[in-house]
Amino acid sequence: MRNYNILIVGVGGQGLLTLGSVIGVACAIRGLDVAVAEVHGMSQRGGSVVVYVRIGEELSPIMPMSSADHMLALELIEAARYIHHVRRMGYATINDFLWPPPLSLYPSRDQLISKVKSRDIRLHVVDANDMSIKITGSSISANIAILGYALGVDESLRELLELDVVEKSLEEHFRGRALELNKSLLKIAFEEGLKRGE
Amino acid sequence: MLRPRGSKVLLLGNEAIARGALEASICFAAAYPGTPSTEIVEVLSEVAKECGIYVEWSVNEKVAFESAYGAAIAGVRSLTAMKHVGLNVASDILMSSAYAGVEEGFVVVTADDPSAHSSQNEQDNRWYGLLAHLPVLEPSNAREAYKLVKEAFKLSSKYKIPAIFRSTTRISHTRMPVLLEEDIPVEKKCKGEFTVDYERWVLVPAHTRRRKLELLKIWEALRGEDHYVTLYNQGLEKVIVASGLAYTYVREVLNLLNLTNKVTIVKVNMPVPLPRKPLLKTLEYAREILVVEELDPVVEMQLKDIIVTSGFKVNIRGKDLVPENYELTIEAVYRAIAKFMGVEDKLPWERVEPIKLDPPIPPRPPTLCAGCPHRSTYYAVKVAANKARLRNVVYTGDIGCYTLGYQKPFETQMTCFEMGGSIGVAHGLAKVIENPIVAVIGDSTFYHAGIPPALNTVYNKSSVLVLVLDNMTTAMTGHQPHPGAGITATGEATIRVAPESVLSSLGFKVYIINPLHVKEAIEELTKAFEEFKHGVNVAVVSRMKCALEVLRNARRRGVVLPVYAIVENKCTSCMACVKLTACPAIVIDPGSKKPHIESSLCAGCGLCAVICPYRAIVVTNKPSENWEALWWGP
Repeated sequence: MRNYNILIVGVGGQGLLTLGSVIGVACAIRGLDVAVAEVHGMSQRGGSVVVYVRIGEELSPIMPMSSADHMLALELIEAARYIHHVRRMGYATINDFLWPPPLSLYPSRDQLISKVKSRDIRLHVVDANDMSIKITGSSISANIAILGYALGVDESLRELLELDVVEKSLEEHFRGRALELNKSLLKIAFEEGLKRGE
Repeated sequence: MLRPRGSKVLLLGNEAIARGALEASICFAAAYPGTPSTEIVEVLSEVAKECGIYVEWSVNEKVAFESAYGAAIAGVRSLTAMKHVGLNVASDILMSSAYAGVEEGFVVVTADDPSAHSSQNEQDNRWYGLLAHLPVLEPSNAREAYKLVKEAFKLSSKYKIPAIFRSTTRISHTRMPVLLEEDIPVEKKCKGEFTVDYERWVLVPAHTRRRKLELLKIWEALRGEDHYVTLYNQGLEKVIVASGLAYTYVREVLNLLNLTNKVTIVKVNMPVPLPRKPLLKTLEYAREILVVEELDPVVEMQLKDIIVTSGFKVNIRGKDLVPENYELTIEAVYRAIAKFMGVEDKLPWERVEPIKLDPPIPPRPPTLCAGCPHRSTYYAVKVAANKARLRNVVYTGDIGCYTLGYQKPFETQMTCFEMGGSIGVAHGLAKVIENPIVAVIGDSTFYHAGIPPALNTVYNKSSVLVLVLDNMTTAMTGHQPHPGAGITATGEATIRVAPESVLSSLGFKVYIINPLHVKEAIEELTKAFEEFKHGVNVAVVSRMKCALEVLRNARRRGVVLPVYAIVENKCTSCMACVKLTACPAIVIDPGSKKPHIESSLCAGCGLCAVICPYRAIVVTNKPSENWEALWWGP
C-alpha cells in the first residue's frame, strides 16, 4: 500500500482534533496503520492548529513539507498559510469561511481563494459551515462536512476509507442525536462531493 | 481504555502509556497536569474507580512525585507523570529517591516538549538520568510507548530504583492503533507496608555515602541491560544510532533514500545509561557512526566515551549534522543521513513555495477566547490603575492561559519564567525599582508554587500587589480540579480552600472582584490600588469561571447565555470594542468600516457593551434567568 498523508488545518476550537481522531479510528477499524499527530495546550485556543494524519506502516508523526495528498482546511486564512504543504496535484478541500485573527490586517476572501486556486492542486471550496448549520443548527459540525465532501471528491482516499467505515468511526465519537445528525451530514456532504468529483 | 486483550484500539500516546501502566498493575498514580503529559493521569482518573486504583491531581509535581514515591517505598506499584519542566520542580526528591530506591516498581514519566509547542523551554530530560544515576527509557513511537512502559515497571522492580520514562510531544500526542496484549489484572497490590529502615530511608550523610555505593553498583548493572538496544544489519562499516523517536525518522528516511540495507542501525530504547555491549559489538566493524537523537547529544556523548575507553578508531558524527534545537523533521534527518552516506541531499519530492499575498497572511497566535474572564479582569485592572493614578505599573506574569495577556491591548504580563515566578520575581523587583508592581497569577499556579513567594513578600516587607485570577480550575490543560475546586480527580467532594483564605492567613488584605460586572470590579480594584499605594499588603482575587466551561455547561443544561450584537446605526466606527478587547468574536469584514459580532462565537460576557461609548452594543436574545450563576457555580 502506498502511504497517504492528510493535513488538517484550521483555528483551535473548530474540531480539528476530533476530525483527526475520526479519521484515525476509521483507519484502525479498517485495519490500516496510521499516525495522527496533534498539538494540545495553549496553542489550541484561537491559534493556528495543524493535525498530521499519516496512513501507512511505521511512519514518523510529522509529514514532510509539500507531501500532503489531501488538505482539509476549516478556515481560509489557515488554508492559504499551509497550502504549500500540499503536493503537486494533491487535493485541498477548504471551508469557505474566513475568520480573521483579532486586530489584524488580512487578505480578502477573493484574494485568498484566487491565490490558492493558482496552485497546481485539485481544489474544492465548499461552505461547510452552512452545510453544518442546515443539518445540525450550528456550524459545530463543519469538520464532519469537510470530511464527507473530501471523501466524495477524492477517489484514492475513498479507496482507503469507505463511507461506512467512517460512519462506524462516528459511532465511537458521538452518541444519540449528535451521532444521527453527524451521520446524515457526513452522507449529504459525501454525495455533494461525489457529484462535484465526477 | 478498558477493552480486553486482543482488541485493536486507536490510542493517543499518553493513553497508551496509561494502559500499559494499568496492565503493569499499578495501584497509585499522582500528577500535576502539564502539556504534553496531562492525559496520562487524566485517563487514569476516569477509570480509577472501575479499576480499583488510587489517582490524584496533586498540588504540584514535587508533591505528586513524593506521593507516588511514598506508595512505592511501601511496596505498591505507582506512577507519576509530568511535563519536562515539572521534573525541575520535583528534582529534589528525584535525586534522593535514586539513593533510597523503592520496594515496588515506580515509573516517573517525563513528557518533553521539543520545539516548545506549549512550554517555556525545550530541555532534554534524559540528562536527569545521568544526574540522578537512574535509567531512562524512551519509545520510538506511541505504540511502542505502550509496551515500553511495562518494561519500565519491570526494570524498576528488578533494581528497586525509580525508572524514568521519557516521552515527547510527538509520542504523547500522536494516536496510533495499538493491539492490546494483556488484560488489566483484577488482582493488584494496593495495600503496602512500610518497613522502618533508618539506613535506607533517612538520608543523613553517613547513610547517603553507603547508599551511593549501592546506587553505583546498580548503575553499572544497568549498562548490561542489552535488550534495550536492538541491532539491524550487523557488521557494516556505516552505522546509524537512533534513540527513541529518532528511530522512526531514520527508518523512514532510509526507505526514501533506498539505503536501508547499507547501514547498521542501532535502535536505542535506553539512552541512559547507554548499554555498552551492543555498541562495542557494532564498533568492531564500524568506520563511521552517525547518532540521530532529538535535542541534546545525550547518547552521542556516552558513545564517544565508549569509543575513547575502548580504543576503537571510528569517526563519529551527530550534532554537527542533526540540529540540537527543535523537534526532528523528515527534512532535517534526510539532509543529515544523505550527507553522512555521501549521497545527494536534495529532497526526492518537489518543494512548493508558500503563497505571497498583500496584505500578507496574518500570524495567528493563540488568543484569549471570546468570553474569557482574563480579558475582563485585565481591562478592569488597567482602568483601575489609571483611576488610582498608578503610573508605569510593572505586571509580572506566570504560567497559564492568562500569559497571553502579554499581547496588545492588555500588556499585563511582562515576565513569564516558571510556575509561581510572578510573585517571587515581583518581590526582587520591588526591592530595586520604583514602579508599582502587580504580580498576576492563576489559581492553580497559586496553589502550585505561589504560596511560598507570597509569604516571602509579606515577611520580607516588599510592596507587591498579588492578583489571583481564579477560574476555579486548571483551565489551560483542560479543566482539572485543584484545591479550590471542591472535588478530587476522581470526582469526590472534598474541602475547598479558597485563595482568599490562604492570602488572608498570610497577612494580605484581600479584595474579591467579579469581572462579569466590569464597573463594580473597577471600583473595587481602584480601592484596592489606593490602599496598596499606602503600603498595605493587598491581594485581589478575581473570580469568574473559564468561558469554555461555561459554554459547555450552558449547552448541556439548556441555559441560554446572552448574545450581543452591534447596532449599525448607533455604531460610529470608533473601534473601541475592537481595540480594547481584541475579542475573537468581534470581526471587521473586509471593506467594511464597522465591526460586527459573530453571534456563534459570542459567549455573552458583555465587556464590549460596557466599553462602547455609544451604547451601540446590545443583547439580542432572551437569556435564561439563571445564566449568571454559570459563571461562578459548579
